Amino acid sequence: MTVLDRPVTMPPLATGKRAERSLRAVMFQAVLLFALLVGLLTLLVLLVDVFRDGAGRLSGDFLSSLDSRFAARAGIKPALIGTLWLMGLVAAISFPIGVGAAVYLEEFAPKNKFTSFIEVNIANLAGVPSIVYGLLGLAAFVRFMHMGRTILAGALTLVLLILPVIIVSARESLRAVPDSIRHGAVAVGATTIQAVWHHTLPSAIPGIMTGMILGLSRAIGETAPLITMGALTYVNFVPAGPLDRFTAMPIQIFNWTSRPQSAFQEVAAAGILMLLGVLLVMNALAVFLRNKYERRW
Amino acid sequence: MTEFGNLLRERQAKPRREPHKVAEPRANLQPVFSLADVSVYYGDFRAVREVTLEIPAKQITALIGPSGCGKSTLIRSLNRMNDLIPGARVEGKVLYHQQDLYDPAVDPVEVRRRIGMVFQRPNPFPKSIYDNIAFGLKVNGLTDDVGGRVEQALRDAALWEEVKGDLKKNAYDLSGGQQQRLCIARAIAVEPDVILMDEPCSALDPISTSRIEDLMFELKDQYSIVIVTHNMQQAARVSEMTAFFTTEILSETDDRRTGVLVEFDRTDLLFTKPSDERTEGYITGRFG
Amino acid sequence: MAVPEDAVSLTRKRSRAGESAIKAALLFCASVVLATTLGIVASLAFEAIEFFRAVPFKEFLTGSSWAPTFKPARFGVLPLVSATFVITIIGAIIAFPLGLGAAIYLSEFAGDRVRKTVKPILEILAGVPTVVLGYFALTFITPTILQTIVPGTKVFNALAAGVAVGIMIIPMVASISEDAMRAVPHSLRQGAFAMGATRRTVAAKVVVPAALSGIAAAFILALSRAIGETMIVTIAAGQIPNLSGDVREPMQTMTAYIVQVSLGDTPAGSIAYKTIFALGTTLFLITLGLNILSHRIVRRFREKYE
Repeated sequence: MTVLDRPVTMPPLATGKRAERSLRAVMFQAVLLFALLVGLLTLLVLLVDVFRDGAGRLSGDFLSSLDSRFAARAGIKPALIGTLWLMGLVAAISFPIGVGAAVYLEEFAPKNKFTSFIEVNIANLAGVPSIVYGLLGLAAFVRFMHMGRTILAGALTLVLLILPVIIVSARESLRAVPDSIRHGAVAVGATTIQAVWHHTLPSAIPGIMTGMILGLSRAIGETAPLITMGALTYVNFVPAGPLDRFTAMPIQIFNWTSRPQSAFQEVAAAGILMLLGVLLVMNALAVFLRNKYERRW
Repeated sequence: MTEFGNLLRERQAKPRREPHKVAEPRANLQPVFSLADVSVYYGDFRAVREVTLEIPAKQITALIGPSGCGKSTLIRSLNRMNDLIPGARVEGKVLYHQQDLYDPAVDPVEVRRRIGMVFQRPNPFPKSIYDNIAFGLKVNGLTDDVGGRVEQALRDAALWEEVKGDLKKNAYDLSGGQQQRLCIARAIAVEPDVILMDEPCSALDPISTSRIEDLMFELKDQYSIVIVTHNMQQAARVSEMTAFFTTEILSETDDRRTGVLVEFDRTDLLFTKPSDERTEGYITGRFG
Repeated sequence: MAVPEDAVSLTRKRSRAGESAIKAALLFCASVVLATTLGIVASLAFEAIEFFRAVPFKEFLTGSSWAPTFKPARFGVLPLVSATFVITIIGAIIAFPLGLGAAIYLSEFAGDRVRKTVKPILEILAGVPTVVLGYFALTFITPTILQTIVPGTKVFNALAAGVAVGIMIIPMVASISEDAMRAVPHSLRQGAFAMGATRRTVAAKVVVPAALSGIAAAFILALSRAIGETMIVTIAAGQIPNLSGDVREPMQTMTAYIVQVSLGDTPAGSIAYKTIFALGTTLFLITLGLNILSHRIVRRFREKYE
């Protein structure tokens, strides 16, 4: 028997899996898996708990009633309307500013200290606690600009909060458009603005929309900044416009959770289910958009 | 019959093109570009060193040489596309019809309308065939009879017959060769004076390459053409003048390589009786 | 037809006045970011300076009693800081091992299908609004802890809040650590495998040490987030300043106090109003410091792989 008689087999690429039959290896992996599962399990427990508490309370009446001191009559309508107004304004204001900033930074900004300074600012602002944004809103919009504790002031506060998220994701979408497109446009005698408007931006829109939805998902669940700048927690009227006082869904949930009567726990849970439902729809929309329109260059 | 099969049949039906005759440079025409000691820098790195060259009008001039010798860098400086690269700058004089291209008063956008460019990889816009061409017309104000101009550009680029049935088709659905002809159509639709081509056929198959070379021949009556190519045979086939570049070490202390112009002559002379031994080494394949 | 050679000069700029206006507008949009930073600093500083004119630094930073609306008013911030600290630590004890463990599993052991299923779920967990976690802490975690594990736990207590904060930051720890570990080049792992190492050895002795700076950054950023957290602690940990350190008792954090004031009718010029800005300044400086630290750590200690 020579070496040539032995069958030739390629050893598999080293993956370390062969030696892992020992108890220690299995335990190690099990511990890690356990860590992962605990996190996932907690989410499940949370959802089940909320569902059990609140599903029974969901109804048409719940949607159409105002808040009340009696748990059986409390409804989410003012909070829902308030949230809708807020989100509409936040979307309308943050989109042009966020996309405009991203376009400036990606397509026009020279590589100098000023540009770096803006980028550092964006990174730092993303890490500022949301309650500090509430203090900013209180001082700058409510008091200094005399807007009062209105939907408009609340919306502007939230815009500043989610602006870093929107700018970062819009920049990534713009960056994903290959330079060859820009060069092709410029080579026929277009200005940078024409190239961006007619080619770069349209190709980046799906990614930008996904980023907007993610930003709005964040904004819709924010409570602390709105409370701090003066949103109400007990509202028995429906706001009619941006200059009205208001409440929002997460604030209403907070208020119900804080009430001593245990019946309000169910009402709070019902509100949570609604909020989570809205978030689910938004995120499903984002995933759908991303999958449908993402261009593979 | 596939598109490829059709192309094959077409080629066999056409008479073989004569190896092109030596064309005399048109004596009554000024050179379209005059370069004097032109160097192109990226930051502090000199990519191209002191090129002096006159590119004749209404002819095809080829720039050849090994990779890294700055041919693409140089051609991009002829329509100020290097402006788009941060840190790029040009020293020396680039004259276009005796006007300084880099004069501060010159508008680069206007430059690029006159001096068009076709790129190495076809880069049509992700839009319809019609819109690809209409965009250039729109931004340059050529909006009278857009449809007619689109058709004429596609005819001039030898693409009309293949796409006339569906101009709304997305450009990305075309084959590579068709996309490149679309890019040529896009460039000529805005009525340039010069067409720069940066290795236009290197991403294409031989049949498409041959069609585009035929196209270049038809175009050179109206446009001055400068083509960068790493394919010597292509340069020999299509161009009247050829410039050969090579690389040199920057200095004793810096062993990065910079591009230099070695020789510039009539194509037939350069390939049969080169004056410089580096040219001879390149075209005989001693180094590449 | 091509343009004739003696063509019009190249200097004629087409009328594009609108373009300068557009560029200016875009620059303005980018400057909103700067205005925000400026606004935060100005709003906080303005009121905080006023506050510290009335209340000496020493009392603020070292006083052990927080009672701004009592007579005599006390402005020692230690109870609030201690509560923030305690709850953050509890959260870290929960989130660091679980998050890092999950990240190691996902990065070094899990197959593609598992990863593709699990990561969206972690993202969902990250997207749960904090009011919901606060509700969960108050109505589920506390009763379960009250009943079963820890006798003597009150309705509002720091432990439940800490656990919920931990749950909140698990996804953050997991995803940033996992990114750091994925960034370790395969060649390092392959070298170890080729010597016969098991996956767990590679994970523990090669990947985690190589990704350490990123993991440290993940921990620090998660701490920063936990410190700034408001709704969970407001709902579940109560509104009573408490320096005892007994986690079964209610404790008011800095953020919870700000909410308490904002819910009430504290008049604008009053000292109580100014306290929320003083606390806001403290929060801002702490989180800013942590964020800068995490950035520095990544920059300084990032392994050079080439």
